[in-house]
Amino acid sequence: MDPECSQLLPALCSVLADPRQPVTDDTCLEKLLDWFKTITEAGSSLLLLQEHPCLLGLLCHVLKPQDLSPRVLAFSLRLAGMLAAQEDCFQYLQQGELLPRLFGEAGPLGGAAWTAPSVRSGWIQGLRSLARHPSALCFLADCGAVDTIFSLQGDSSLFVASAAGQLLVHVLGLSLQGPAEGHPGLQTGDWPVCAQKIVSHIEESLRSAATPQITQALNVLTTTFGHCHNPWTQVLWVRLSPLVARLLEKDPVPAAHSLVDLLLSVARSPVLSSSSCGLWETLAQTLSHLSPTQAGPLALGILKLQECPQALRAQAFAVLLQPLTCVLEATAQAPGLLDSWDGTGGASVTVDTLLASKAACVGLLCRTLAHLELLQPLPQRPSPWPQAPLLGATVTILRLCSGSATPASDAGGHLCAFLVGCVRVQRAALDFLGTLSRGTGPRELVTQVFAVLLEYLTSPDSSPTVLKKAFQATFRWLQSSPETPGCSDLDPHAQLFLRELLPVLPKRLCSPCWEVRDSGLEFLTQMIGRWGGQAGFRRALLASEVPELTEQLLRDPESYVRASAVAAMGQLSSQGLRVTPASPEHPGGQQKSLLAELLHILSTDSEGFPRRAVMHVFTQWLRDGHADVAADTERFVARVLQVASQDLDWEVRAQGLELALVFLEQTLGRPSSHCPYAVTPPVAAPPSPLAQALRPLCRVQLFEFAFRALFDCDRPVAQKSCDLLLFLRAQTASYSGPQGSGSVPEVASVEAALQRWQAGDQGQPLGYLEPEVVVAVLRSMDLEGLRGALAESSDRVEKSPQSLLQDMLATVGALGEDEADCY
Amino acid sequence: MVGYDGPIYMTHPTQAICPILLEDYRKIAVDKKGEANFFTSQMIKDCMKKVVAVHLHQTVQVDDELEIKAYYAGHVLGAAMFQIKVGSESVVYTGDYNMTPDRHLGAAWIDKCRPNLLITESTYATTIRDSKRCRERDFLKKVHEAVERGGKVLIPVFALGRAQELCILLETFWERMNLKAPIYFSTGLTEKANHYYKLFITWTNQKIRKTFVQRNMFEFKHIKAFDRAFADNPGPMVVFATPGMLHAGQSLQIFRKWAGNEKNMVIMPGYCVQGTVGHKILSGQRKLEMEGRQVLEVKMQVEYMSFSAHADAKGIMQLVGQAEPESVLLVHGEAKKMEFLKQKIEQEFRVSCYMPANGETVTLPTSPSIPVGISLGLLKREMAQGLLPDAKKPRLLHGTLIMKDSNFRLVSSEQALKELGLAEHQLRFTCRVHLHDPRKEQETAMRVYSHLKSVLKEHCVQHLPDGSVTVESILIQAAAHSEDPGTKVLLVSWTYQDEELGSHLTSLLKKGLPQAAS
Repeated sequence: MDPECSQLLPALCSVLADPRQPVTDDTCLEKLLDWFKTITEAGSSLLLLQEHPCLLGLLCHVLKPQDLSPRVLAFSLRLAGMLAAQEDCFQYLQQGELLPRLFGEAGPLGGAAWTAPSVRSGWIQGLRSLARHPSALCFLADCGAVDTIFSLQGDSSLFVASAAGQLLVHVLGLSLQGPAEGHPGLQTGDWPVCAQKIVSHIEESLRSAATPQITQALNVLTTTFGHCHNPWTQVLWVRLSPLVARLLEKDPVPAAHSLVDLLLSVARSPVLSSSSCGLWETLAQTLSHLSPTQAGPLALGILKLQECPQALRAQAFAVLLQPLTCVLEATAQAPGLLDSWDGTGGASVTVDTLLASKAACVGLLCRTLAHLELLQPLPQRPSPWPQAPLLGATVTILRLCSGSATPASDAGGHLCAFLVGCVRVQRAALDFLGTLSRGTGPRELVTQVFAVLLEYLTSPDSSPTVLKKAFQATFRWLQSSPETPGCSDLDPHAQLFLRELLPVLPKRLCSPCWEVRDSGLEFLTQMIGRWGGQAGFRRALLASEVPELTEQLLRDPESYVRASAVAAMGQLSSQGLRVTPASPEHPGGQQKSLLAELLHILSTDSEGFPRRAVMHVFTQWLRDGHADVAADTERFVARVLQVASQDLDWEVRAQGLELALVFLEQTLGRPSSHCPYAVTPPVAAPPSPLAQALRPLCRVQLFEFAFRALFDCDRPVAQKSCDLLLFLRAQTASYSGPQGSGSVPEVASVEAALQRWQAGDQGQPLGYLEPEVVVAVLRSMDLEGLRGALAESSDRVEKSPQSLLQDMLATVGALGEDEADCY
Repeated sequence: MVGYDGPIYMTHPTQAICPILLEDYRKIAVDKKGEANFFTSQMIKDCMKKVVAVHLHQTVQVDDELEIKAYYAGHVLGAAMFQIKVGSESVVYTGDYNMTPDRHLGAAWIDKCRPNLLITESTYATTIRDSKRCRERDFLKKVHEAVERGGKVLIPVFALGRAQELCILLETFWERMNLKAPIYFSTGLTEKANHYYKLFITWTNQKIRKTFVQRNMFEFKHIKAFDRAFADNPGPMVVFATPGMLHAGQSLQIFRKWAGNEKNMVIMPGYCVQGTVGHKILSGQRKLEMEGRQVLEVKMQVEYMSFSAHADAKGIMQLVGQAEPESVLLVHGEAKKMEFLKQKIEQEFRVSCYMPANGETVTLPTSPSIPVGISLGLLKREMAQGLLPDAKKPRLLHGTLIMKDSNFRLVSSEQALKELGLAEHQLRFTCRVHLHDPRKEQETAMRVYSHLKSVLKEHCVQHLPDGSVTVESILIQAAAHSEDPGTKVLLVSWTYQDEELGSHLTSLLKKGLPQAAS
């Protein structure tokens, strides 16, 4: 602890101990505890107590009967626990009988303060920190803490109840650390008394008829098996598993969620799953006893296990597939391969759930689709993976939702009625359909996939969120469609689809919903990025109205759409896909160049998003050597930097530095690999004499831009600039230019100007700088120091422990009535 | 970032302002705190695509069971209280609200929606706040004095809310007093926020809306955009700068420049959390440690003026009175103060009031009304009796309630039997009545028939060939007494549907038969 804090601590302790000076802000107490935690973790708690007797004074003081705030009491309990975590400090506190008075019956436990949940929580957290060594265990037993923890498991406050459960797990683990670890064969009967007591309590809870109690026991076990993989956990499971299995005999199964969590936690434990202990049988039983909705997560969990009997996996997969089987049957389609997975019965329950109500049907289908989506990319997914039937089922669900499927039975009719227009299911199904694009399917089915996607993209009923998903799924399917051998173009199948798709896109780009226009543009940008160089796609795109419409969207009223249009236009132009017809207004001439148009957006758009998008496009263009840029790179860079430096948006300025860096690399050669801004290979110019190489940078006023950014009020900009200048300095390290006397006054004036800038006065420009001056200035600056300062959070002084102590002391009585005054 | 994929409901102004505030939040986190793994602008856009904007008082059907409705909350532009309804049960969640109109926003309002539960904030659970006018006068006086003596006034604000209120206040005052000292607000967010106030003028208070035709209150004549260089200009000026707690950015930069001059003044219009310069100066600290162990001596005048827009105790009571909830739950307040308000609410409105601690569960008893569908057949039969349904006059209706798949239907018992595939069982009540009559059984039966025929004129009384008598479903048979030949036993039996008539008839027979016939 630094001396300033040591000085302040006694005053603070006396403030805390004084009920007439209430601490109004309990976040301060939390921060104080965080600070004590770092201190006690780094050094001796005993020393801390001895050097600061005021702390002990506070702990003793809170025990006196008085009207002390629950916050301070809770704080003291937690602090005491934190200190007693070290055994020598624990003994020291024990000498004064302080701990039993704080945590035992005589303490707050029996008093009126106990009604405050914060005190109960403080008590638990205090014990949680304290319980680290064998002496602590004896202490817990002596003060009867375990019984109190049992009762707190059912506390009205969720935080207290959950913390009590956690503490129980911790105590169980601690009590078995010594004895049972050495003898894995030790039976529970030979376990320490404390552990036996906890186990009996869990057993009792599992036998209870009250669901909350069963839930508590299951949660404690879940945490135990999840966090502790010692051999004794196996002994525990062997003893308790019959009781757990007995829960399945009840109808309905109580605390099903917690039961699923427990069984999966056991199955994941390396100690338990290897030995089985009847686990697989219990899992199989549970799968068949739970309702389809409850069984889903369990089935997914089983399928994610690395090691698991094949029969159980088959059963689990069947549970996941059942709802889709029902859908296929309801529309008179052969469930196909799903049949081979679905042999365990339970289908009627699933059908019942699906047909019970709209909410149940939608819930089950969404969950099933989400589970299958998670499962699809995993290496341990079931094999053979029924790709085709899954595709069929997903397409069918999407058709049921759009109303284009024909139900073949009463059940189908019901499903249809539930699903028509259901956005939730549409979204889930489209997501899953997108994931299924990773596998292949029979041509016929793929045709159906494209057809249903087209149906959604065309349908006027599709909601904006559904359309977005449809666009995403479409892109994924196009991406996965096989390319024609020998030619890197889309296969004829996808080409055909594209021909139908491109007329749809203009409609979406004209949608009254900005969300739809934006999703359309994002899709377009992706498409051009992927297939912009391919003849078939280019022909189809150029034949459509899409490029023209995209250009019009640069003037969209919604800024997000303008930004997406900028990105799309940037791509179109890079690929040479921008239509530039000779317009009647400009006979013989071209339209306003896109570069000019984007520059106009950069300097005039009132929103940040389009301006940021322009900077991204410009950086990309510079990187790729776009024709418009290459025509006069220096002029381009100078212009862009000049506009960007004036921008109010920090990301535009930061992106300006990115562009500056690209230009720098192209002029001087790429930075070494440790540079965080390393990019794909630029066209590096040969390292000519440095002064000459720096000249273009000086001409585009890159240094003025970078120096200004160095003192930017937004830290990321300053950091980026600092990195850039450091890189530049490293590049010029070997340079020993003429230390001409003529340049010295110039250097001094630049340095003076930079100092003024640092002080906040950025009015005066630097003007043209000679390379020699730049090099000299760079050498004289403490860039490393600046980088260090910038790496620190800007409010670190205010966040320091000393500042916290000062604030807490100053606040006493100062804020009065205002403290509750919030925005 | 957590993968939520459903809709997000917001009012229109909130929808407009939300991305700007999220961008600002992102900027603060990335910029000031150096968070590397924070949400991106693309994520903000994707989030905004999920937004469904709602109008005030518009009932929005979220799904088949859930509906929501927004009410004006008056806390900041776009603030709303929401009523959430499932079936016949509903909850109102207020969020922050303000029951007194200020310079730019109106007062919160809700209709008599009688929710089962009203969850209300209780920031000012025991405070009855002094008149806003006084606070405004104080504020203007302080600013005026500082400017008069040539000082500079800094007002740190958050972009949304108080900034607009105070701007209007100063603008009007400057106009009235013909003051010349410049007023600036730092560019960036506030400017945009002002733009949205102009856009959503219908959300502001009545006065602003009325004068809107002549002049838009948010187009300020005296208030100009601020440039960093202005801070060093000589002479008095007033600057609104963000953020409001002096923890970063422009307001902190200006504060550092001006703090050393006792002629200057900083007015904090709201609460500041620990760990900010605002909190330090409000708690009276005058020597602040800055970067690199530098110490900044604060000589400028520091003032605190609460302009926060929360309902005070009176306002909270007013809202409870307006909504007439069955019970109230207090949140966002301090336990001790809430306890006082809780008692007051329970006394005045005779409703139960709760104030759970964080993480505590409250269970409320409710009496849900469950809709039951009635079969057409049953209704038709009821109609056939000639009485049209009348909402004001409840009527008894016999039928069988079938509960299946959480659906409730009332059907005729015949239909129920048919649907459930059950056989009908008849339940008959029987009773023996002893009658002193030496005549033969048939004659006794005949006498009973004649008697009942004459008494029960409205019912169908029949004498059957086997000698028994029926009245509706009631069957009467006469038998000889095994021991006493002068006594006959009447066996009366009836179904439960005719329970009333059956009991009436038995009591009638117990009185004996009229003598005249004998």
